Amino acid sequence: MYALLILAPFLGSFILNLPFRKVNKRLSFGVCAALFLLQMAVILIPDFGLNKINPAALANIFNFDLGVDALSKVMLFCTGLVAFVTLCTSSFFLKDGDDKFNFANVLLIAVSGMNGIVLAQDIFSLYVFLEITAVASFILIAFNREELGLEGAFKYILLSSIATVLMIAGIALFFLVSGSTHFAVIHSALLAQDKSLLINLAIALFVSALFIKGGLMPFHGWLPDAYSSAPAASSVFLAGIVTKAAGVYVLIRMLVSLVGFSLTLKSVLLFVGAFSAIIGAIAALTQTDFKRMLSYSSISQIGYIMLGVGTGTVLGLAGAALHIFNHAVFKSLLFMNSAAVEKALGTRDTSKMGGLGSQMPVTGLTSVLGSLSCAGIPPLAGFWSKLIIIIALWSAGFKTYAVIAILGSVLTLAYFLSLQRSVFFGKLNAEFRNIKEAGFSLLFPMILLGVITLGVGIFLPLVLDKFILSFNAVLGG
Amino acid sequence: MVSAIFVVLLLVIGIYCILATYNLIRVLIGVEILIKAVTLLIIAAGRQNGNMALAQAMVVSIIVIEVVIMTIAVGVVIGIHRYNNSLDSRKIRKLKG
Repeated sequence: MYALLILAPFLGSFILNLPFRKVNKRLSFGVCAALFLLQMAVILIPDFGLNKINPAALANIFNFDLGVDALSKVMLFCTGLVAFVTLCTSSFFLKDGDDKFNFANVLLIAVSGMNGIVLAQDIFSLYVFLEITAVASFILIAFNREELGLEGAFKYILLSSIATVLMIAGIALFFLVSGSTHFAVIHSALLAQDKSLLINLAIALFVSALFIKGGLMPFHGWLPDAYSSAPAASSVFLAGIVTKAAGVYVLIRMLVSLVGFSLTLKSVLLFVGAFSAIIGAIAALTQTDFKRMLSYSSISQIGYIMLGVGTGTVLGLAGAALHIFNHAVFKSLLFMNSAAVEKALGTRDTSKMGGLGSQMPVTGLTSVLGSLSCAGIPPLAGFWSKLIIIIALWSAGFKTYAVIAILGSVLTLAYFLSLQRSVFFGKLNAEFRNIKEAGFSLLFPMILLGVITLGVGIFLPLVLDKFILSFNAVLGG
Repeated sequence: MVSAIFVVLLLVIGIYCILATYNLIRVLIGVEILIKAVTLLIIAAGRQNGNMALAQAMVVSIIVIEVVIMTIAVGVVIGIHRYNNSLDSRKIRKLKG
């Protein structure tokens, strides 16, 4: 039945492009929204009608080996949620009917690709889905065909192609030693043989490809450019979910079901994670461009996720998954806030802003929620995921990294407070006296995500143990 | 073994091609050469472990994906050319920081 999550968006974009363009254009928003909401419902409600479809009935049309565990469920839910808010954002920013239609189509293809990444159990199909997602995101970055967007897209294409080359080389070497591309077969082949030079090379190639895709610190060159130059709706989507699905999730999946956690890999992940968390936060402190600052903050938060993954324990993995969810929520929210501010003021330079909280109350309030959640202030959702990651680091014996993680959190608070002070608090600049709050189709997703941040923060402790225990199955223990 | 030498040779040519030029189209050609090198690696791996059918299937898929990526990339380059009237990568450094 999970195969439907890949098939349905793909078929949706196919059907929308059949004849009767005029009807389809009007339908496109509704079709996309319905698909994304269904995806969330399938994950949240176990008794949902679609969950009762017999997998054997689908095997005739779509015979694919798919696997679902707690981690993939978190990712599928995030994908649905972020895609839904992106759709709302796009309908606010894109005025032209053709643009809206095209955006919805590309979004459907990207969502189909990401659901594929999350569900694939075969290293080569994983690669194919990765490329589907990547191609869709190239188009999303260059969507407005503006100069900066094209430049950001070209940088992303170039680095993504290099990641592709590394990844195919890794796949070829895994294929050479195991004779197959299925996760389980490769895993047992790797267990049977000693860790030869060839296998280590394959792992190194694959991991560095994923570092590029995830935008971790030594390989982050494309990320701030691509995020800050992309149109508003695209950067919500990219920052919210694409880098996490294409980089972080694939890395976790590869570690868990393909190669296992070795000591060297753990130390590499922890080092890269800590490096990204700290340097990303310091780089964010120095930015005056709203979106660029958020991009560096993304790098820093992905560093946190890596720190959680690098522990190799159930607790660390659960913390990483929770932080993926929280980051998807608050970073989409903050990018929407930046888009609303940019639309109202016509600039992204934070040094020119000030006092916007009185003019744009909803944007101001939700962005305070998002920033505080990102900085890990209780009782917001971000607090719990950071707490779990730090506890996991401490209990796994990586005490230095736990201290670094706390320091990074302080830096996060520092740059978000300075951002809030210069944008939403303080004295209102006289030339911005007449600005208005954004329209309903942007305010609705903002309020939705703000409520989720607050609600998850307050109610998560009730189900926290259940959530963490469900990750036992992910590690196969 | 012979194919391994060719893979390395193609990789070196591709990397040199990317590093030595400022022309956007030539950079893309360099990327193409790199992808060709790893495609050859898959064929070599398939021949080595006797699973040629799977290797062929993978290679065909990679070629299709590569064409799609290059189509988008060339489209982006055309867009850049419209703004700059040039394909020089030194002229598209507006994004910094």
